[in-house]
Amino acid sequence: MTSTPLIEARGLSKTFWVHRKDAGLWGSVRSLVVRRKDAKEAVRDVSFRVDEGELVGLVGANGAGKTTVLKMLAGIVHPTGGDVRVLGKIPWHRDDALRSRMSLVMGQKQQLWWDLPAADGFLLLKEIYRVPEARYRETLGHLVELLQVEEELGVQLRRLSLGERMKMELIAALLHSPRVVYLDEPTLGLDLGAQRAIREFVLDYRRRFQPAMVVTSHYMEDIERLCERILILRQGQLVYDGPRRDVVERFARSKILTAHVRHPPGDGARVSLSQLGEVRVDGDTIRLEVPRERVTSAAAALMEICDVVDLSIEEEPLGHIIERLQRARRGEAGGDSGDGGGP
Amino acid sequence: MTGPYLHVLGLETRKLMSYRADFWLHTVVAFAVQMAIAFFLWRAIFDATGEGSIGGFAFDGMVAYYVLALLIGRLVRGKEREITIARDIYEGALSRYLLFPASYGGMKYAEHLGALAPAALQVVVLGGLAAVAVPAPAGFEISPATVAMATVVVAFANLLAFLLRFPIQAVAFWADNVWSLNVMLRFVTEFLGGLLLPLSLFPEVAQKAMAWLPFQYFFYFPVAVLIGKVDPEAWLRGLGVMALWCCLLGLLGAWVWRRGIRTYAGVGI
Repeated sequence: MTSTPLIEARGLSKTFWVHRKDAGLWGSVRSLVVRRKDAKEAVRDVSFRVDEGELVGLVGANGAGKTTVLKMLAGIVHPTGGDVRVLGKIPWHRDDALRSRMSLVMGQKQQLWWDLPAADGFLLLKEIYRVPEARYRETLGHLVELLQVEEELGVQLRRLSLGERMKMELIAALLHSPRVVYLDEPTLGLDLGAQRAIREFVLDYRRRFQPAMVVTSHYMEDIERLCERILILRQGQLVYDGPRRDVVERFARSKILTAHVRHPPGDGARVSLSQLGEVRVDGDTIRLEVPRERVTSAAAALMEICDVVDLSIEEEPLGHIIERLQRARRGEAGGDSGDGGGP
Repeated sequence: MTGPYLHVLGLETRKLMSYRADFWLHTVVAFAVQMAIAFFLWRAIFDATGEGSIGGFAFDGMVAYYVLALLIGRLVRGKEREITIARDIYEGALSRYLLFPASYGGMKYAEHLGALAPAALQVVVLGGLAAVAVPAPAGFEISPATVAMATVVVAFANLLAFLLRFPIQAVAFWADNVWSLNVMLRFVTEFLGGLLLPLSLFPEVAQKAMAWLPFQYFFYFPVAVLIGKVDPEAWLRGLGVMALWCCLLGLLGAWVWRRGIRTYAGVGI
């Protein structure tokens, strides 16, 4: 790789100070006088780079530090240590030239104005980012058509559904054609159709503009469809930086079948189920974890053993894969991770 | 360069106007209640003391003072009850502004100014009604010159009100609830600014001290200028004190902001 990376993080660390208060009335009274502060290391010594046109997935369990990393890359949060260059600039210096070429979309927090129709919000953003009129019209037209939200443009944001709002947020984030885009849980809480629309949209943007993109998501499908390369964070440390394919193929070994059945299984049925994989029964819901290659036969067997009303097949939770990856890395030497070692 | 800020200003104005019920209820009811309190309280005081004039105001002058102080206060303070800056900080909405290639303070000041047009509309409507209901008292010398002088004071005071609010609300970087601080600030401003009592009722020494504080420039001073009780020299001196406070508070705000932003965690996102 000879090109200069659009994003480069070196030894990035962040420690938060959290005030602690004991539970109950006495705890509250005490906290009026003495306040205990605990250090929480959210991110430790994280280094990576993202090149032009790359779409990198940042994954990890809750509290692993994904959002904190994004916030530091976006210049919202000051790091405690380390260095970041985005388009050659330090993000938390909040240089206007950098900020007008960067974007952050947060699935859990809307950025558009709650009381305004999206169309008014877009106009304001056009002014803030100083997008020329002709380019604004062209970009907006394209984005709106792609996400099919023409009808909703004039509706107050708070009256839109979650999926429609997220689409508007994406449009808002990309109106100024940023070169660096961070997407924090862009599909959180959306139905499958909306998730697919958002993913296709992200890929289309990538094809057209070749930005550097970092996306976090709890949905394996997002990561699988979007990212060729992933970074895995665990307790604030980067434990894997490499091709996504390797992680899924090597570490996601099982799938989870969840079935709702008409009658709770009897003892005999339970024994048969336990031969298929790891089984847990909760009333009329059966959760079966089976090796990936046996998922079809296990599903067929499950439907034969029980009177199934509804069946869903999901990937093993990302947290499990991460856990396994950590164990594997401790056991096996080497691996394809370039950096991210411990302190 | 002013594009985004003007746009924010216009949006804020439209937003305030769009909450029609709140706009008129707040306008009329709050004003009527405050005026009723002032009217009956001072009626009782004048009757009990038997004085013809208190603090340089006869009864009708006193009532007119409250009308003017309340109306001018609306122009000066804008959306004073709202703690949008503190809320942005502890709810995490500040993150959005930090991403924009624009100044946060500039955007918030534009919002503050956006509240000016609706306030002006209220002042015109209520002031018009009051002018009909309460004839101009003796000793009030309102002329085009005093109106012009008072306008300059109000413009300055409007900026001062914003600069005073900014560092106080930025305390939200460190403390969770700035609401009570804001209430205290409002109370102090109203008391030392002359909204609860005309400052001419305070002892001489206190009045001299208060001339050096920023508060009286929100209510008492602009009213006194408008009714012709302030000569040009004192007017200039007042503007000087306001300019000094604007500089001091501007510097304080910038300092607090620079320190606060380093501790900002963007919680809520």
